[in-house]
Amino acid sequence: MADTESKPVIAPTNDIEMNEVNNEENLELAVDTSKIQLLPGATSDGFAASFQIIDEDHTLGNALRYMIMKNEDVEFCGYSIPHPSENKLNIRIQTYGKMTAVEAFHKGLEDLSNLCSHVEEVFSTKVANKDYSTEEP
Amino acid sequence: MSKEPQIVIRKAGRDEVDFILSDVELSLANSLRRIMIAEVPTLAIDLVEIQINTSVLADEFIAHRLGLIPLDSEDIDELKYTRDCTCEDHCPKCSVTLELKANCEIDETMNIYSSHFIITSGVGNNLKLGQPIIRDPMRKGILICKLKKHQQLHVKCIAKKGIAKEHAKWSPCSAIGFEYDPYNKLKHTDYWYEESVENEWPKSLNSDWEEPPIPGEKFNYNAKPDKFYINLETTGVLNPNEVFNKGCNELQQKLANVIFELKKLDQQSNTDDNSNINGMDSNINNTHNINQGDDYSNNMGRRTQYGGGGTQYGGGETQYGGGYTQYGGTTQYDDRNRPNRW
Repeated sequence: MADTESKPVIAPTNDIEMNEVNNEENLELAVDTSKIQLLPGATSDGFAASFQIIDEDHTLGNALRYMIMKNEDVEFCGYSIPHPSENKLNIRIQTYGKMTAVEAFHKGLEDLSNLCSHVEEVFSTKVANKDYSTEEP
Repeated sequence: MSKEPQIVIRKAGRDEVDFILSDVELSLANSLRRIMIAEVPTLAIDLVEIQINTSVLADEFIAHRLGLIPLDSEDIDELKYTRDCTCEDHCPKCSVTLELKANCEIDETMNIYSSHFIITSGVGNNLKLGQPIIRDPMRKGILICKLKKHQQLHVKCIAKKGIAKEHAKWSPCSAIGFEYDPYNKLKHTDYWYEESVENEWPKSLNSDWEEPPIPGEKFNYNAKPDKFYINLETTGVLNPNEVFNKGCNELQQKLANVIFELKKLDQQSNTDDNSNINGMDSNINNTHNINQGDDYSNNMGRRTQYGGGGTQYGGGETQYGGGYTQYGGTTQYDDRNRPNRW
C-alpha cells in the first residue's frame, strides 16, 4: 500500500459493526494486491486469527497446516481453498494463549523451511555418497 | 518431530531416482511431490513462428507438438522469466530461440526430428540450455512430422522459462511414483474385490520393505503413514536429483515469500495507528515478546497486529484471562461476514 493515507485492510472484530467496516473498505479490498491478508474473525487478543494467502494451494497449505498444528501451543489450525478457481488459501490459527496466531504462523513457516532444508541435505548426502545400489529390503 | 527424516536411495539412473523417504509426514511428502511435478521451472517452446508449413499437419498441431519437446534445462537458473525481464517482448536473457528449416527434395518420405533444431540465440554457448533432449540410440530425437517430396517446414521457436502449473509441458517429471503403506494397514484405500483382496490384488513390490500385517491384528487407529516410496522419473530436462533439490528449494522459496509478506503485513498494521482495534488490552503493553528466541521478535521491534504502540496483543502469559474464553465469548465462530467457512 503505497498511499500513506490509505488504511491497511484490517480485520473487523466483534466490537465493530461488520457492515460498516465492509462498506468503508470495499474499495480498498478491491485494489488490495497483497499476498497475505487478515480475514475477519480474529480475536482482539490476537490468539486466534485467519489469514488469506493469494497464489498458494495445497502444496503449501497442507504442509503448513500440519507444521503449525505440530506446535504445542496451537489449539487449532486448519486451511481451506474456498473455491477451486480462485487462487486463494485461507488459514485459521488458534492458540492456547502462549503465543499469538501470527507468531504461531511465523514459527510454522520457519519450521517447515528448516525441515525442508534438512530433507534436502539428507538427500544430497545420500546421492553424494553413492551408497544406493547396496540397499536391500 | 521425534525422529529425523531419513532417505534410502534404492536406485539412481540418468532419468530416474527411486528412494524411500521416511519419518516425515504425509503432508510434507505430498508437498514435495506436488512441487516437483508442477513448480520446478524448466524450459519449453512457448511461441512458434511458422514461416512455411506445407506439411500435412496443421500449424497449431505442429506448434503443440513442438511445445512438448523436452529441452535441456540444467542451467535454467541463468534464464529469467519473460515477465521479469526488462525487454519488450523476449530477448536472449529470457528466451532461447530454436530454428528448423526442412525441405524435402527426395522421393521418399522425410522424417523431421527434434535433433534437427538449431539454437540461434540463447544466454550463452556453453550453457546446457535449450538443446533438445535425445534419448534414442540413433540420436535422432523426437519425430516432429513427416514430409513428402516438395513439402517444407520452416519454423522459428521461442522457448521460455515456465512452470508446469501453467502448462504441463514445463514439467520436469514424466511421472512420480508415490506409494505408502503397501499393505493398506491404515485403510486409506478401499480395494474392490469379488472374493478376496489378497488373491485379486497383486502385492506391491514395496511391500517387501514393510512388515506384513499379522492376521487378526487389531486396527491401529493411531498409526500414521511414515514411509514413502517415491520413484521420480524425469523427462530428461533435469537430472532427477536436481529435480528433488530444486523442488525443496522451491518450497522454501514459497515459504520465504510468505514469511516476507507476513512481516510486511505486521509492519503495516504497526505503523498505522488507526489499526487499533485492540481496545481492551492496551494497558498491558509492557508484556514483552513471548518468543524472544525468534528472529522476528528481534528485528521486527513492534509487531503488533491489532494494537497501536508496542502492544503484544496483551494477555501475554495469561492463558484464558481477560474475558478470553476458548469457545465462547470473544472467540468468533459466528461471523456473519466471513466469506468462507472452515
